[in-house]
Amino acid sequence: MINYIIRRLLLAIPVLLGASFFVFWSIRWVPGDPAVAIAGELATPELIAQVREQLGLDEPVHVQFSMYLFRTFQGDMGKSVKTGVPVSSEIARRLPNTLQLAAASLVLSAIIGIPIGVFSATKPNSWFDGGSMTFALLGVSMPIFWLGLMLMIFFAVLLPKWLDLPGPVLPPTGSGTWKHMVMPTIALAANSMAIQARMTRACMLEVLRQDYIRTARAKGLIERLVIYRHAFRNALIPIVTVIGLQFGTLLGGAVLTETVFAWPGIGRLLVEAIGFRDYPVIQGAILVITVGFVLTNLLVDVLYAYLDPRVHYD
Amino acid sequence: MKQKTRLLIGVLVLLSLVLGACQPATPAPDDTPPPATPVPTDVPEPKTLTIVSGTDVEHFNIRRVTSSPSFSVLEHIYETLFYMDPEGNLEPLLAESIEAGEEDFSFLIKLRQGVQFTDGTPFNAEAVKINLDWILETEPAPVFAFLINRIEEVLIVDEYTVQLNLGSDFAPLAAHLSHGAIAMISPKALEQGEEWLNGNAVGTGPYVLENWQPDEAVTLARNPDYWGDAPAIDTVIFKVVKEDGARIVEIEAGTADVAVRIPPAEAGRLAANPNIDIIETPGLRTIYIFFNVTEEPFTDVRVRQAVNYAVDVEAIVRDLFEGAARVSDAPIAPAVFGYSAQPAYARDVEKAKALLADAGIPAGTTVVLYHPTGRYIQDALVADAVRAQIREIGLNVELRTLEWPQYVPKVRETKPDNEIQFAMLGWGTVTMDADYGLFALFHSSEHPPGFNGAFYDNPEVDRLLDEARVVLDPEARRQLYAEAIEIIWEDAPWLFLYSELQLTAVRSNVEGFIVHPDESLIATFADKR
Amino acid sequence: MATTTTTFDTPTPRPLIGYGPLRRLMRAPMAMVGLFIVLAFIFVGLTADWIAPHDYDLPDFSMARKGPSPGHLLGNDEIGRDMLSRLMHGARISLTIGLTSVAIGVSFGVVLGVLSGYFGGFTDLLIMRLIDIMLAFPSILLAIMMVAFLGPSLQNAMLAIGVISIPVYARLVRSSTLTIKEESFIEAARALGGSHFFILLRHILPNVVAPIIVQSTLQIAAAIQAAAALGFLGIGAPPDVPEWGNMIQKGRAYIFSAPHIVVFPGLATMFVVLGFSLLGDGLRDALDPRLK
Repeated sequence: MINYIIRRLLLAIPVLLGASFFVFWSIRWVPGDPAVAIAGELATPELIAQVREQLGLDEPVHVQFSMYLFRTFQGDMGKSVKTGVPVSSEIARRLPNTLQLAAASLVLSAIIGIPIGVFSATKPNSWFDGGSMTFALLGVSMPIFWLGLMLMIFFAVLLPKWLDLPGPVLPPTGSGTWKHMVMPTIALAANSMAIQARMTRACMLEVLRQDYIRTARAKGLIERLVIYRHAFRNALIPIVTVIGLQFGTLLGGAVLTETVFAWPGIGRLLVEAIGFRDYPVIQGAILVITVGFVLTNLLVDVLYAYLDPRVHYD
Repeated sequence: MKQKTRLLIGVLVLLSLVLGACQPATPAPDDTPPPATPVPTDVPEPKTLTIVSGTDVEHFNIRRVTSSPSFSVLEHIYETLFYMDPEGNLEPLLAESIEAGEEDFSFLIKLRQGVQFTDGTPFNAEAVKINLDWILETEPAPVFAFLINRIEEVLIVDEYTVQLNLGSDFAPLAAHLSHGAIAMISPKALEQGEEWLNGNAVGTGPYVLENWQPDEAVTLARNPDYWGDAPAIDTVIFKVVKEDGARIVEIEAGTADVAVRIPPAEAGRLAANPNIDIIETPGLRTIYIFFNVTEEPFTDVRVRQAVNYAVDVEAIVRDLFEGAARVSDAPIAPAVFGYSAQPAYARDVEKAKALLADAGIPAGTTVVLYHPTGRYIQDALVADAVRAQIREIGLNVELRTLEWPQYVPKVRETKPDNEIQFAMLGWGTVTMDADYGLFALFHSSEHPPGFNGAFYDNPEVDRLLDEARVVLDPEARRQLYAEAIEIIWEDAPWLFLYSELQLTAVRSNVEGFIVHPDESLIATFADKR
Repeated sequence: MATTTTTFDTPTPRPLIGYGPLRRLMRAPMAMVGLFIVLAFIFVGLTADWIAPHDYDLPDFSMARKGPSPGHLLGNDEIGRDMLSRLMHGARISLTIGLTSVAIGVSFGVVLGVLSGYFGGFTDLLIMRLIDIMLAFPSILLAIMMVAFLGPSLQNAMLAIGVISIPVYARLVRSSTLTIKEESFIEAARALGGSHFFILLRHILPNVVAPIIVQSTLQIAAAIQAAAALGFLGIGAPPDVPEWGNMIQKGRAYIFSAPHIVVFPGLATMFVVLGFSLLGDGLRDALDPRLK
């Protein structure tokens, strides 16, 4: 198994390199001079020339890329065009907020999604099953940002109106208290929740069909024990991996949720940077999110190997 | 069993991540910093005033900022020589008086004594000279240098008297010295260079900069050494809340004391709330769309007039602003000295089409409209509305939008790069004098990089505006401006839209908060019960 | 249980539109619901110009932000345009984006997947690494990245959404190809002297069509969601175009006083995505019941 882990780690490296190359190279797509894109359109010609020299924009690609990697490892991702603040410190300030939101969403989606999936699987084709799977399908089809806005309307307008309250039940934007976290977490979790419910149900159904379950039942075990001790535990492996993979997707979905709720995370930083054509920030944010995504997936793969003794090789 | 344990560990790790991270992500708005100086025990609790606005300060270099939200923040830290009160009267601030000097075209300014910058540098004639010279001599010139570039020489007469020698009479001089960009910065701070000034502020004002979290909040703390009356509010926080709806929620919930730029549609509802007062301030800012008269098809005055006839500004003001704006009948707002009303371009689709046909513009011609977003009240909405109405007379409009920091340079681009056909902009005549509102926008010497984005060039108008600058008699000036405005109105270098009405929501327990017609917010005289 | 015997299989003809799959599809109620939604969506998208009750771009300021009323069944937007007409035209845009991005994804993804699966070896390694790198990005982020750097425009949005679907197709087609490659009739064809190209075209591709169709249906759903997301962030279709995401973004300022501007485009998006998802699931079950 150690071999497997090492193998996966080694495989992740070219992927990381490739992805960072892609991000590094992306600034060349901007029409015009990349030095202007990095320094900002308002920069003086001297500053632009300085940027061109510092980043070696005239050098061959591989040299530039190594310089880029070297700089990034040292934590230098350039300066924001808009504020002049180093990109790395802007990201460092915002990243914990996003992680907080993503983690909370993950927990919420697991706490609700998995039990629903399990229950549906134990009572297939019942009202509960049909109903919950329909909801799950809706949850997957709904645009996250729209759900966020609907939650806002509900908690900030409708609910106060029905309950005759002076102000909104939950603050619609910003951060700072647990109340600010409720709506963004629900919005972000909805999609994941639905996927996990469906996944859990599918996995459980698969497992429940297995022979050893029949054996357990034949042995006379109480149904509940059958489900939890045998079926669930074995279905858990793919379920856990799905949860882990969801974390990565949540990082991407956070972009939309943070924009809706003005949550000060890295997703919103990215969106605002796009509006301002703040390319250094865009690059930095994408790189950090992507690296996080790759590492999370890697972790999940390793976790999968750890949990499932049947996995020996790639 | 092993699997279960492993799983349990995993879940616990995840939970601890969430719970451990469950601290407030940013300081809650009511965090008051400890007072700067030791406080006697019977002093009441420090008061904090939280103002929510849609835009952040650009940076802290008052010489280079261009937007009123920035000036709002900075004018609590920096002070100018004179202060223009909301009624248009000039009051002494850092200067005590201004009078004509003995030589031709010279002015003597007596300065207030006993004032210090917050870094200990004394405020005196030398400081004033350093500041004014900086504005006049620095390359590239600050945007607002044109306000005082008639000054040829600044002389120190004695420690508290400065003499300004001009090349000719300049009526708006004192008014221009009240403009935020001509505020006094500590000479020692000026030496540190502009990059330092972007993030730091050393002035003479009632507040000092305590903290700036870009895009989130600026915190100002009371200046304990302020020369004037100590403000009642100890901490002023300018919080950035971009979404209009969110600002409304904050003021309703009481987490904000002042909410700026309330959408007209919500004003009625808020006014009915017993805890909230709505302040309506007639603005000095005119919103318009200027035509680049050197680019087809707007080279032809008939086309420009056609567009003016196509757009139903009255309906826009009535329905989209719920009446919280004023249809423009001049390039400047009524509160500005020199204003004179012109016959408004009422919507007349037939006439517009006829004019276009006369000018030989075929139906289906495409033009590109630039507009900002989030800078002026409902700016993107108005651009969309204008686009849809112009479409009815046969012109297809493509919209282009840029964020404000990119927008301003774009509309100030010089030839030959400048290919704008028409673009939306707002201009607040903060000096309340027509020179500021007309000279910068219509004089041929102010073509980009100045603010005459229309590249308007009319020798008659030039002559009138030049003369109005040197003539000192107010009646004569008014007459000159009236003539100039009439010509400008006919020439239609703009699609004349409306002037903004500012709607500000203030909690009822806040007194003395001033919303100036020039859009600056003044917390210095405010108090909270 | 008997082990699978290696007999000389005759190539099982897998008719695409045959009696079997179509009948299976029709028996699945949810899939039929999906089909109905999809057809309705396509119909509206194609005929929007004719069946929309009002000019979708005609403003009427006096009706600005008004809710549903007799002349305007879904209300009016922020400058008084008819929401229903705008939604209908938005359907056309979403349809265009969906189809274009699928076209891009299929063209490149299928080619890459087939080449990778069929030739194996170094080609496979190279292409799969490329795919892995593309999959290293959360998909919406990759789309955002492309649009951010290339510049926001409708074409770039379609391109970006198309590109992010390439890895999915590539992997899918690759695995199908690998399966089919092992079938003996391929060996036979090679023995008979068939060129690679001929085999690819004549044998591999037709058998890959089924999963491609299923995936494409699901892909259109994903494309529409992605387009709405980009539109909401303001980097998708140009602002004057009535794309559903754009409409939500513009209506956002008025959610407290005129929520219908935001509610209806979101509902439309949700139902259309739902429709395609149901149809896709149904097609998957119908075309290959063994995969259930």
